[in-house]
Amino acid sequence: MQGSAIAAALEKHYGRNQRWGFIWAVWMAVLWGAWYVPGTALWHEHPYSDIPGSAIALRLSATAVMTWIHAIGVFLFLLLWNGSLGKIADYGRTMIRFRRISKWYALASLCGGPMAIFGSYMAMAYAGPVFAAISSLLFPVVGAVIAALWFKERISRRAALGIAIIIFGGLTIYGPGLFGEVQATQSHAWLGYLGGALSALGWGAEGAVAARAMDVSDPDVGIQCRFSFEVLFWGLLILPAIALFTPIPVRQLLVDTVTNPHALLWIMLAASTHAYCYTSWYKATSLIGVSRTGGIGNLYAVFALIFIAGFTLQLPAWYFLIGLALTITGSFVMFSESADSVATLRDVGESEPREAEGYV
Amino acid sequence: MKLHQKGFLLVELSRQDLVWDYELVARALAEYGVSGRHWINTIRIALDEMAAGGLIERIEERLDDGAHVEAGKVMFRYRLSDFGRRRMKDTGLLPA
Repeated sequence: MQGSAIAAALEKHYGRNQRWGFIWAVWMAVLWGAWYVPGTALWHEHPYSDIPGSAIALRLSATAVMTWIHAIGVFLFLLLWNGSLGKIADYGRTMIRFRRISKWYALASLCGGPMAIFGSYMAMAYAGPVFAAISSLLFPVVGAVIAALWFKERISRRAALGIAIIIFGGLTIYGPGLFGEVQATQSHAWLGYLGGALSALGWGAEGAVAARAMDVSDPDVGIQCRFSFEVLFWGLLILPAIALFTPIPVRQLLVDTVTNPHALLWIMLAASTHAYCYTSWYKATSLIGVSRTGGIGNLYAVFALIFIAGFTLQLPAWYFLIGLALTITGSFVMFSESADSVATLRDVGESEPREAEGYV
Repeated sequence: MKLHQKGFLLVELSRQDLVWDYELVARALAEYGVSGRHWINTIRIALDEMAAGGLIERIEERLDDGAHVEAGKVMFRYRLSDFGRRRMKDTGLLPA
């Protein structure tokens, strides 16, 4: 009697962890998709709307300026979150251990900030936005490979299949648009492909690198550490370097952004969705692992189109429905794993090998 | 300065072979001078996350009779894994 009661309680316990892991991952996808609305609207405001598409250096510098202000906004929203959870003291205690712990968050912020965001904008500028969107869809594969090689994260065949179906769904949504883009004559297309690779590698590596620090620290606190470093990288290194070594008016871009209430409003809206998107990402990662979180996170492709359609009243093409069906199927395939398979995410060499799920 | 929460839990686990989660929760509450359901849940989630990551292992479980958290809740007895010990050395929580 006691045995079966314990078995039922255990199932409930693991089931709850699995459910929360997937709920956080879906939130990540919803908020990531929502981010595209203020993220895109910002480019229609002064000073960004004044920059012609051909002025690539100026455009990238403007991106650096907006990303820095955005990162400061994210930091403030996270402060609010951790303040309400009572975790500010834990943030201080974690940040201070730089050499052994918070340096991993610094590295994660380099991967997800300058590397992935710049890569994504390079891809958009030189190879087209559709190519950029598709290359970002590959980030869970990079994350899963790094997680499997670096810290032996277990990934069941079922989870791998689910990730593959979701990526295929994303390709169905964006793929047909690529044909139109490839026709266009691009003189520096290789820069775009390099950018695409950087964005997939950057976001893929971020999850895996951050997970290493999260082993011994709190995910809510970890994400705040990560953004503290991002604020410092842009504010103390990249923007001063652009201002010093190029004729680009960085100071003017900054002043114009913070004195335009519309631009500031879009940035703060983008920062709020981004802050809680990242919070959800890190929380999901610690419960269901790097690979599953990345797979479900890829549903952002669907949510982005739904939010953009909602705001612009432009309906996506018919093949969106096929992509939607595929991504939903992939999510259910992943969620149908046994809850027990997320109870221990890694193969650390001490547990009994698992048989039921056929680990790869 | 006090250790961060997961660091504190790992150090406590490294000092003793097997520890029940409610004991760890009680020690963490005392260490940080906090109380209440929110903090109990926060610490239990931290333990779940570390078990998922393979740093600590669940060795035994039993049902709470209402004496610790809530009647019917499952309680775990944890042990630091070799991987957890290695990760503690990597992160300066134990001398290398």
